[in-house]
Amino acid sequence: MMNLHTVKTLAYKEWLEIWRDRVYFSMAFIFPVVMMLVLGFGLSFDVEKMPFVIVDYDNSDESREYSYKFTSSRYFDYKGHARSTKETETLVAKADIRFVLVIPPEFSQKIKRGQRAQIQALIDGMFTYRASMVSGYLAAINGHYNAQLMRSWAMKNSGMTEHEVQAMLSPVSLETRYLYNNELKSIWSTGTGLIILVMLVSPAMLAALGVVREKETGSIFNIYASTVSRAEFITGKLLPYVLISYINISILCLLALWIFEAPFKGELSLLLVANLFYVASAAAIGILVSTFVKSQAAAALISMLGTMIPGIMYSGLMMPVESMSAEAVVEAHAFPAMYQLEIIWGAFLKGQGWSELWFNILILFGFVLLFWSLAILRFHKRVDE
Amino acid sequence: MSILWWRRIFALTQKELLQFSRDLILVLATLYFFTGEVFIGGKGVSFDLINAPMGYMDHDQSLSSREWLNKLRQPYFDMKGQVTDEKQAQYLLDEGLLLGVLDIPENFERNLLNGVSTSIGFQLDASNVILGNLADSYVGLANAHSNQEWMLSRLKVVSPDQMQVPAIEARQIILYNPDGKSSWFMSISEMMTVLSMLSLFLTAAILVKEKERGTIEQLSIAPLTPFQILLPKILAVQMILLSGIAMSLFLIVIPVFEVPFQGEYWLFFLVSAVYIYAMSGLGIFIATISKNLAQVMIVSILLIMPIVLLSGAFTPPEAMPEWEQPLIQLSPLYYYINMGFGIILKGNDLSLIWQDLLSLFAIGSVLFLFGIWLFHRQFER
Repeated sequence: MMNLHTVKTLAYKEWLEIWRDRVYFSMAFIFPVVMMLVLGFGLSFDVEKMPFVIVDYDNSDESREYSYKFTSSRYFDYKGHARSTKETETLVAKADIRFVLVIPPEFSQKIKRGQRAQIQALIDGMFTYRASMVSGYLAAINGHYNAQLMRSWAMKNSGMTEHEVQAMLSPVSLETRYLYNNELKSIWSTGTGLIILVMLVSPAMLAALGVVREKETGSIFNIYASTVSRAEFITGKLLPYVLISYINISILCLLALWIFEAPFKGELSLLLVANLFYVASAAAIGILVSTFVKSQAAAALISMLGTMIPGIMYSGLMMPVESMSAEAVVEAHAFPAMYQLEIIWGAFLKGQGWSELWFNILILFGFVLLFWSLAILRFHKRVDE
Repeated sequence: MSILWWRRIFALTQKELLQFSRDLILVLATLYFFTGEVFIGGKGVSFDLINAPMGYMDHDQSLSSREWLNKLRQPYFDMKGQVTDEKQAQYLLDEGLLLGVLDIPENFERNLLNGVSTSIGFQLDASNVILGNLADSYVGLANAHSNQEWMLSRLKVVSPDQMQVPAIEARQIILYNPDGKSSWFMSISEMMTVLSMLSLFLTAAILVKEKERGTIEQLSIAPLTPFQILLPKILAVQMILLSGIAMSLFLIVIPVFEVPFQGEYWLFFLVSAVYIYAMSGLGIFIATISKNLAQVMIVSILLIMPIVLLSGAFTPPEAMPEWEQPLIQLSPLYYYINMGFGIILKGNDLSLIWQDLLSLFAIGSVLFLFGIWLFHRQFER
């Protein structure tokens, strides 16, 4: 079937070609590292320092005390006062600020009389996740202030001790323990998660150009006319890219540990095996794409967009698979990225090993076999019309 | 600029469009990205907590504990039922089968009735930060709500309005997207992402193709200036991509996701055209420094990923580290997202966006002129 010696020769030839194009060779290693660093520091889901302005129609001690709760919060970035709501309209429209806190005229009088006062928060709903986080922070700050108001009111009027008042106001407190990511630091999750994105795009792209390069220089005709079988050709093409990508993914894992300071709690052997199958399946996607299309532009476009969009959107990196719609769930399962993300997060953050994740390894291996055999089937040793 | 000058431009633009239309797979891929991908993006990806699987260890088994658990309801949470012990909870969380486990202690009800403070333990899988943040915030709100109800029932008050207690009611108004539909945000930003990638890539690919086939030599001896060679390519890319945007808007974004288009259509297309101009300037730059398509691809991705992810669509620019703030100002997509969303959802007109538009045009012109200069230089070699 497959002559191992032929495969070795082909792989060596491919390796030499990569090695001799120095721009290409150095980019192959620089590219993943640069990507990882730029995105790791840039992509963050911590919603902080949201710029806002206050419209204070009351201008009293009470309203200032209430405003202070917001201006001193690290989630908000106080940009000043505006005289009227009208003034703030353009600021929100131009996205200079994300929300407006409006305190109405009778605010302090109502509170002194022991009535309910209303404030208004105008939130920019353009970015929905940001809007819902701002709305959550706002409710929390407001709730905290209310509890404080109530406490002093109840102590004054009913003569209860502070302890009794506390028990009446908030009988149940919630003690949340953040597992796997103690401080809810997004850099741990995104830092390690980015490995799967970068190492899906870069091997696919490098490998897609492997076949394209042969077509470009015309050297593919040598292959057409030779005794090399289709399986030998595809395998020989694939191996150097798997090697380069395996070195890259190992570097990225170390970067996650050193630069992003992510913990590693799981089994190392699991990660090493998973990494190999993952980069092999990604490189096989690239080879598969290059056999499908005639023009180089199309090959490049499809392997670039075809891996980047599923890698960002349907891997579980940006949003959990459970929250996806039915169509997106199908797209997520049809790609190796989701399984590898479970392995990476499991091994780094959750301390998992073979017993929990062996099935994912099996699936990744299945993807390698699938893409590899599809590429062999698709590759024809014939000059296309 | 004589009639002949324009006729040459016209003929060359026609040639580019014809060449594009003959590459069937490229045409199909472009069609798919502007329609299918935008559809799946808007439909599938949302930043909401939907049916998050939750478990509980109810050591009290009382009316109060059940009432408390009932506060966590769909659509946010999906209660999967009782977890027997700590070990099983750990297992289910590790496997990712549950997002969180609530632990209600014994004597929960008795403590409540005796006025003794008590606490509920909440273990939360925070490996996905978005989900962790949202689940934390929703469970916290549910607990606050339950506390308030309990206090009111202790004070025998039916509705909070009757109570002579000072309190502040925060009325939140979400502007522009009152129901907080993430499909609006996602479909529009997916459309913009697709446009960014294609405007950069198509321009660079069209140029490098001429180089690879050697047809660039023919162009260089033709009576054409470098500008005359480049302009038709840019025009062709503009036409292809503006039709793509129109398709996205009128076939997917507006009819399927019911996004209300508040602003003016012409302004949105003008802004898009300026954006394509800026990105194609970058495309020319990439094509001139690359020898083959392999290098084009690597350089494009190296540039496109930061442009997309640092544009402010996914991470709020305010929350980025200090040293990245100035970089955001250089990303053409940052301006396009601000203006595009402003026009579509906020109904902004030219008077509100002209500064952004000028900045984008300036960035585009610098890139474009630099691209032409490099392109010119390569002929002189």
